[in-house]
Amino acid sequence: MNLQFLMDGLVVGATLALGATGVTLTYANLRFANFAHGEFLSWGAYLTMTLAGLVGGLSGAPLAAQDPFSIGMGLLACALLAAALTGVLALLIDVALFRRLRQRGTAVTAVMASFGVSMALRALLEALYSTSPRYFSEELQIALPLGAGMRATPDQLGVCAVTVLLAAGVALLLARTAVGRQMRAVAENPSLAQVVGIDVAGVIRTTWLLGGALAAVSGVALGLLVQVRPSMGAELLLPLFAAAIVGGIGSVPGAVVGGLVVGIAEAATVRFIGAEWRAAVSFVLLIGVLLLRPTGLFGRRA
Amino acid sequence: MSAALIVDGLVAGYEPGTPIVFDASLRVAPGEIVALLGPNGAGKSTLIKAVAGLVPVSGGAASLDGLDLLCRPAHRRVALGLAYVPQIENVFATLSVEDNLALAADLGPREGRRQRLLAALALFPDIETRRGELAGRLSGGQRQMLAVARALLAGPRVLLLDEPSAGLSPKIVGELFARIRAIANGGVGVVLVEQNVRAALAIADRVVVLVQGRNRLEGTPAQLERDPALAALYIGRPASGVPA
Repeated sequence: MNLQFLMDGLVVGATLALGATGVTLTYANLRFANFAHGEFLSWGAYLTMTLAGLVGGLSGAPLAAQDPFSIGMGLLACALLAAALTGVLALLIDVALFRRLRQRGTAVTAVMASFGVSMALRALLEALYSTSPRYFSEELQIALPLGAGMRATPDQLGVCAVTVLLAAGVALLLARTAVGRQMRAVAENPSLAQVVGIDVAGVIRTTWLLGGALAAVSGVALGLLVQVRPSMGAELLLPLFAAAIVGGIGSVPGAVVGGLVVGIAEAATVRFIGAEWRAAVSFVLLIGVLLLRPTGLFGRRA
Repeated sequence: MSAALIVDGLVAGYEPGTPIVFDASLRVAPGEIVALLGPNGAGKSTLIKAVAGLVPVSGGAASLDGLDLLCRPAHRRVALGLAYVPQIENVFATLSVEDNLALAADLGPREGRRQRLLAALALFPDIETRRGELAGRLSGGQRQMLAVARALLAGPRVLLLDEPSAGLSPKIVGELFARIRAIANGGVGVVLVEQNVRAALAIADRVVVLVQGRNRLEGTPAQLERDPALAALYIGRPASGVPA
């Protein structure tokens, strides 16, 4: 049997994993499902593209690629800056809208507002950049044989490596650092966190910055492997939430494994059932997990 | 002795316009244990939650060592030296015992952080042996001890304890109250909200009785033990003994 679908699933899962990590952190700490999270992927990709265009324009030459990849250090630096800017964008939206709704309204109000934010952010991208797809690189990459009938391009392998590194970094941050402990404490009991002396508002700001930045990296990965479109994030929203819930809300390793489960399930569905069923996979996984194990694979009951 | 914590005429409640605490006052000196007693619904827990910053305050004043508490959010009150231990959900169940303590230790100076954490654990041998376990797996008494240890790590001037004996066996209550006495002897002022009147009177230096959100009685345990009004508040009629 050709196992290429496994490799395809791993690559899709890797692009989902970081976005799902942001979803799981914001869901756990803010207690609402932010349906605008997918737009942070799109904004991260477009901001990277804009910064790359600016740097290329100033230097008089497009950013050079680093063999064997289709992009180079210049674009990675732009992606890093775009990740920071996307984190700031997420934070600004919180200050302007979600924070007020948290103080006055219920979680449902914030969820509904996030739909509006999602539409506004997507419409803004369409107005600024049009709906035509764009590409970080038009270079055609040759897939390398990996054994067992599987192949992957250097860019795909690079995306998988970046995902592993960043997810491990976030998991370490949560497990070993003061800010990580504070994030876990606020996720469990924000009132108690306050009287322990934790600046809950500061932890929420950190969560937005981190979630937005990770979504941006996920968006750049998706743009690199597929294409950059204003609707790219919105189309991934359901798989992102499915990954976060399959993994268990609040768990970073869970979000990564959840991303891989969703990615491989989608690829297997395409391979064995039919491409038209791909979009249903996330729904089926989501319903299955919520019915059978609502805490997800790695979620813990208090 | 001059008071560390001064609460004057506090008005507080969860919903705007519907206060639970009306005109409540409290003074706690360093090293003093003040038992805050009163029947169910008297507003005892609401009063200390309001002082800790968890319940909105609509009137009155509260200060710690002369610094206004009410203009500061809850986490800044901790930095001033005010620690609060809730009655329930007082530990982070999904964090390890050590991480629960580290949360408080992280907020202090980096230097000596580890030593402070180990010293807090050493105060409570029952939890020291379970430092790697999830706090959610601890017994009720161990959770109380962990919560008190965590509060002490913040280096408080005043410790607010909300019904620490609730649900605990008499033996554990005895151990816990002995630790609370030792903490107060170290110079920390303690406000002890309690339903277990006998245990509270045994440990307190002074007692404040709250009824319907207002101060009703105040004095030393010896004075109040003889006061039939205290028993009347709890069992509805004057009686000679103090309710258990």
